[in-house]
Amino acid sequence: MSANTEIDNVWKLPSHRKVGMVTLILAESALFTIFVVAYLFYMGKSLNPPFPREVLEFPLLGSIALFSSSATIFLAEKALHKGNRAGFLFWWGFTLVLGVYFLYFTGTEWVKLIYVDGLTIATNTFGTTFYSLVGLHAFHVVVGVMLLLGIFIAGIRNRLKASHTEHVEAISYYWHFVDCIWIVVLSVVYIISVRV
Amino acid sequence: MENDILIEDDYRLPDPVRLGDEPGSFTRIIQKIVFTVDHKILGLMYIGSALFFFVIAGLLASLMRIQLMYPNNTFLGPNAFNTSFTMHGTTMVFLVGMPMAFGFANYLVPLMIGARDMAFPRLNAFGFWVFFFGGCLLFFSYLGAPGLYAAGSAPDVGWFAYSPLTARAFSRGHSTDYWTLSLLLGGVGSVATALNVLVTVICCRCKGMTLGRLPIFVWSMLVLSFLVILALPCLSACQIMITLDRYLGAKFFDTQAGGSAVLWQHFFWIFGHPEVYILIMPAFAITSEVIPVFSRKPIFGYPIMVAALVSISFISLGVWAHHMFCVGMTSLENAFFVTSTLLVSIPTGIKIFNWIATMYGGRLRFELPLIFAVGFLFQFLIAGLTGVMLAVAPFDWQLSDSYFVVAHFHYVLIGGLLFTIFSGIYYWYPKAFGRMPNFKLGLWHFVFFTIGFHMTFLPQHFLGFLGMPRRIYTYQADRGWDEWNFVSTIGVLFQAVGILFFVYNLIYSYIRGESAGEDPWDAWTLEWATTSPPPDYNFAEMPVVKSRRPLWDAKHPDDPDWKYE
Amino acid sequence: MNPDSKQNPNTVELPEPTGWPIIAAFGLTLLFAGLMTSLVITLLGFLICLSGFIGWFLDVFPHPRHFYVPVEQPPRPETTARSIQYLKIGERGHRMRLPIEVPPLWAGVKGGLVGAAFMASMACIWGHFMYGSIWYPVNLLSAAAIPEFAEASTETLKEFNLFSLVVATFSHGSISIMIGLLYITLLPMLPAKFAWFWGGIITPLIWTGFLFATMRFVNPILSQRVDWYWFIACQIVFGMVCGYIVFKEEKVETMQSLSFAAKLGIEAPEAKK
Repeated sequence: MSANTEIDNVWKLPSHRKVGMVTLILAESALFTIFVVAYLFYMGKSLNPPFPREVLEFPLLGSIALFSSSATIFLAEKALHKGNRAGFLFWWGFTLVLGVYFLYFTGTEWVKLIYVDGLTIATNTFGTTFYSLVGLHAFHVVVGVMLLLGIFIAGIRNRLKASHTEHVEAISYYWHFVDCIWIVVLSVVYIISVRV
Repeated sequence: MENDILIEDDYRLPDPVRLGDEPGSFTRIIQKIVFTVDHKILGLMYIGSALFFFVIAGLLASLMRIQLMYPNNTFLGPNAFNTSFTMHGTTMVFLVGMPMAFGFANYLVPLMIGARDMAFPRLNAFGFWVFFFGGCLLFFSYLGAPGLYAAGSAPDVGWFAYSPLTARAFSRGHSTDYWTLSLLLGGVGSVATALNVLVTVICCRCKGMTLGRLPIFVWSMLVLSFLVILALPCLSACQIMITLDRYLGAKFFDTQAGGSAVLWQHFFWIFGHPEVYILIMPAFAITSEVIPVFSRKPIFGYPIMVAALVSISFISLGVWAHHMFCVGMTSLENAFFVTSTLLVSIPTGIKIFNWIATMYGGRLRFELPLIFAVGFLFQFLIAGLTGVMLAVAPFDWQLSDSYFVVAHFHYVLIGGLLFTIFSGIYYWYPKAFGRMPNFKLGLWHFVFFTIGFHMTFLPQHFLGFLGMPRRIYTYQADRGWDEWNFVSTIGVLFQAVGILFFVYNLIYSYIRGESAGEDPWDAWTLEWATTSPPPDYNFAEMPVVKSRRPLWDAKHPDDPDWKYE
Repeated sequence: MNPDSKQNPNTVELPEPTGWPIIAAFGLTLLFAGLMTSLVITLLGFLICLSGFIGWFLDVFPHPRHFYVPVEQPPRPETTARSIQYLKIGERGHRMRLPIEVPPLWAGVKGGLVGAAFMASMACIWGHFMYGSIWYPVNLLSAAAIPEFAEASTETLKEFNLFSLVVATFSHGSISIMIGLLYITLLPMLPAKFAWFWGGIITPLIWTGFLFATMRFVNPILSQRVDWYWFIACQIVFGMVCGYIVFKEEKVETMQSLSFAAKLGIEAPEAKK
């Protein structure tokens, strides 16, 4: 390697916010992995009812809401890059609404499971693993919604500056991650385990 | 980036902050410690609190050794013994080993890569305080009054808290909850700090500090952080599960309701084994800095050393069940975990050979850091060999949970890790405090501590062969264990004297030590390019790096390294 | 952090000390501690934690707060009583990556194989003169892998057995190649004087000692029946032959000073001046 005199011009490092978020996502994936493995391990091993195939319904509307929120947040980011503040706020707010709707959907599902089907976290290993996995995901959606809300408020109050695109991108990374986890949860809980 | 609507920054510079009135006043110092986001102060605080917890956990170990000195001893009852080994193990792993690593990483990584601070300075402070308060919470279990829901009980389920011992039915009161929740807190802090270190190394390097020029110390800390990021959340997941079990009646590890106790072991060791490599990483880091400097040669085989680090961390993710040979697995699983465990010895062996090759032909200067590093080489070799023995499943069936295992991992963690920690503290002491550590006191420290260490732990190998199980609070007189146990306990006395020399040396040198200057060892990495102790901003001018030994280049502009790399 | 901001060139921008992280950490701790004591403490912890995080957020949003530290020119050449022996240019080994040269890899393979042939012939000579069969040592060696040999009589062990020959050839050959490869790294590091003594006699003696101690476990048949003096002689013959071949080979550079890519052969190494 020879001495690099142009180094001053070419020396560029990745943004620490984005790398930080990717690292956080890595850690969160490890956390989720354990819970998913626990769910798979206990699948079909519950000693007493209710069993997944009896009580679980495919969460169609909730999933549609969450998946489309990934698209809307992408549009919001695009609007931000173009400098279109109204577009940004619209799509960002839309994402927020979709996230809140997902939480509402999960809430009604849980109410039904608890009061109609009598499935609680202490009922059987299915209840234990189901509520912990879906609950952990829902907790991440709650955190995501709070982050979205923070940016939204800042946007409405016109506090969002050009230097904040990195923050916004990092948060959208997080939101996409929450979405990806939902794909895993959906397939493991609502597709695979109801067929066992 | 075009921005029509988003307004440009209209940010006004704030006035310089005034902390306290006089620079040396008491309030000023307290403020400086409590409010600081400076990586150097936080690093020293990490190391200081780790040393504090080290002394406490060491005292707990001494109590256990006194109890085991004679057969049928009654110094500690069974309950006190159980809490002692649990608290000793938990403290040493979570409140000494990891914080020590993070302390070194915090203090040195930004200096070595030529940065002004960590990537997220506030998160850094948060990580430290969460760890510190978590540690306090763990030890609060000793103090908590029984009136507060019978909280006055320390955890007594062992540091790996096997299920179903931790179930509500078998662990009444809140002792297990203290273990779970304080470590959950510690986990949050560790992940925060690891994330910070990782991002710092990736995003805050000074100009020219490519990944191929990072000091191996920084590489080790990068790998360590990566392992923490992957492993610690697994522990947190386990602890969330156990908390759900205990508070909400979930059935994760409730065998009567179809739960599995073995699943806990798998989950715990998926975290637990990478954790072991997390603990030993600082040893690799410090040795790789100390040996070249005191052999007056560049490190031998830099790329291979880095590759070995990375492959050790990679393999370490797939060896966890070698802690569980006795549980009973299929022979295929056994074979897999035996093989993967044996594989670890290859990169580890490469590292040892490369350190020796670095020393070979060099002009060794036996200063304190090198003395401890050489001690490390020998002791870590023994630890590695017993590790290879235990990796073989049939051998493990015979000796699992015996004192042989205890001896093995104490050779790793004391003979390996702690010796290099001492080496590192003596090496960077002049940088942190501007004073040289006293050589004579350090030598006495080495002599006493080495003798004591081998006296304590070498006999424990034999005790293991003679069938003495770990975690028993007393034993019968006719087992042939008496003499070895007695020798082992006497060794603790020597170790304690060694530690006293060490602590005295730290204080004495701070007051009386010779002034060190910027670069007392003629070293080659960037931390020695600034004053000792470094100013708040580390470097007045940001350095530009062209080789792996930037300071050599600076000292010898007519024969720089980058012409040869 | 903020490249646009106008700042005094003699100051350095540093993050401002702040109390919010410690408050958030304390709140989080109380939140957990409350689970063991009283839920009131959990509530309190939650509130403290929340306020900590909000304060923290306001600290970094919209801009991370920082302050400016004046740069003092450090008192550079600090006088110290301590004398440092600086490494000088041109001093022996100031950039040394030892060993500079080693015998090439294939020399180890060759040495190992030739040594193996000599050693095998020695063993067969021993078998022929002492037991009247050159297959006897072969069977002894392969007994480690063939359980039936454990109870076999001496007569059986003298007979030719194709499987045993294959096993013995394979194990003897592979171990010999490994030792040959060890020799290429080991020999350059042994004392230069009397290299034949260190490499040819002392080293085989050391590993024979190791074999003597462990052979009971690895291959009990061999350890019971072998003549250890003759065994040592065989090892020394191997050491001398293998060592000689490795030693005589022309040495190559270790490439320690080359870049990783060059070592892998991806990049051509730069020409040395």
